[in-house]
Amino acid sequence: MRALSGYVWADSPLHRAPAAAKLAGLLVCVALVVAARGWALLAVCAGCAALAALSRVGWRRALQPVWAMRWFLVVILAMNALFGGGPALAGAGTPAAAAAQGDALSLGPVVLNASGAAQGATVVVRVAAVAVLGALLTATTRPQQLIDGVRVLLAPLGRVGLSVEPVALAVGVTVQFVPTLLRESRQIIWAQRIRCGDVSSRGILRRAVSYVRLLVPIFVSAFRRADELSVAMEARGYRLDDEPRARKGRHS
Amino acid sequence: MSQVKRIVIAAVCAAIGIVLPMAFHSIPNAGSVWLPMHIPVMICGLVAGPAAGAATGLLAPVLSSLLTGMPAMPVLPPMACELVVYGLVSGALSQRVRTGSTSRDLYVSLVSAMVAGRVVRGVLSALIFSAGSYSLEAWLMTSFATCLTGIVLQLVVVVPIVVSLERAGLVPPRNPEE
Repeated sequence: MRALSGYVWADSPLHRAPAAAKLAGLLVCVALVVAARGWALLAVCAGCAALAALSRVGWRRALQPVWAMRWFLVVILAMNALFGGGPALAGAGTPAAAAAQGDALSLGPVVLNASGAAQGATVVVRVAAVAVLGALLTATTRPQQLIDGVRVLLAPLGRVGLSVEPVALAVGVTVQFVPTLLRESRQIIWAQRIRCGDVSSRGILRRAVSYVRLLVPIFVSAFRRADELSVAMEARGYRLDDEPRARKGRHS
Repeated sequence: MSQVKRIVIAAVCAAIGIVLPMAFHSIPNAGSVWLPMHIPVMICGLVAGPAAGAATGLLAPVLSSLLTGMPAMPVLPPMACELVVYGLVSGALSQRVRTGSTSRDLYVSLVSAMVAGRVVRGVLSALIFSAGSYSLEAWLMTSFATCLTGIVLQLVVVVPIVVSLERAGLVPPRNPEE
């Protein structure tokens, strides 16, 4: 599960911080990134870089999601530079006229808009900063700590009458089931390979179709496990319909 | 179906929603083309109702983002809203639509959910998540053109999987007399 989550073993202040504080901090930082503009955005990015250095997870791990989204970010920047902003768009039909306005750079038939490029760069920096913050959270927090953090953050909802127990149960069961389903999926893939199914084919379409064929057995197997688990929980007295029995079931 | 079973099904579907994209990501650009996370959310809504479907729609992308980094944090809010609507609408309609045929009921609920989720995502992106930089062309491109394969996949596999689960006795049948 730790390998799945991308947790990085290290001893740093971020590793030692409580998961709930890190989750709340992530929400605050994301709000700051979205709200900041100009120099304030650069200051927030410097803060992200400082957090990455403080976490000791390595720059490669911290920037991994940004690298994964590199083409998406390039497209955003290019689209904004080409089509964003006002003045260059007006002169887009005549590159020389657009370039003459001072806000655009003419490269042959292509007109790059300076204000559009700046707008695109802002979007790219925001997306990259949020991606780095998310990577730092997953690299410094174990999955079980994350679940506990979600529980702590949701706890105040219990005081206003909302039931936190079903949410906590769902989060816990989901995280516990991920490695089990991964193992079962691998077994089903091996079984199909033995029957000459072409899951590792080099052809993309062929590989995708072979994955689609696995869907029904994966779902039936997962629902069978869900059925067994719910029967076992109810047999031990776990109920959510009526609160007293739920409490009793939880401690039994 | 008991409350406990609904929650366990929602959790298991959320877990499938984390595992399936990991399998599909060995195929280039599979997440936005094949939409593997949408399938368990819709199936959960169809078999366990709107609350369980909405819970899966929220848990799958959020936990997947926290555990595996996919989807990336900036893409997460619109995607989570879209998936919640898929689960909510497919669940609500599957409880109300009764045409006499299980497959027809399921297809009506499924297609309505697919349309509603995309419309809500487009409206939220235009008003909140990408206010000022979102256009009708961008919505049509991301919601229909890019993921046409995923739409076809959902139409082909979701209903047969639900029927298979009913026949295996793992979820209560909608029309016991069929």
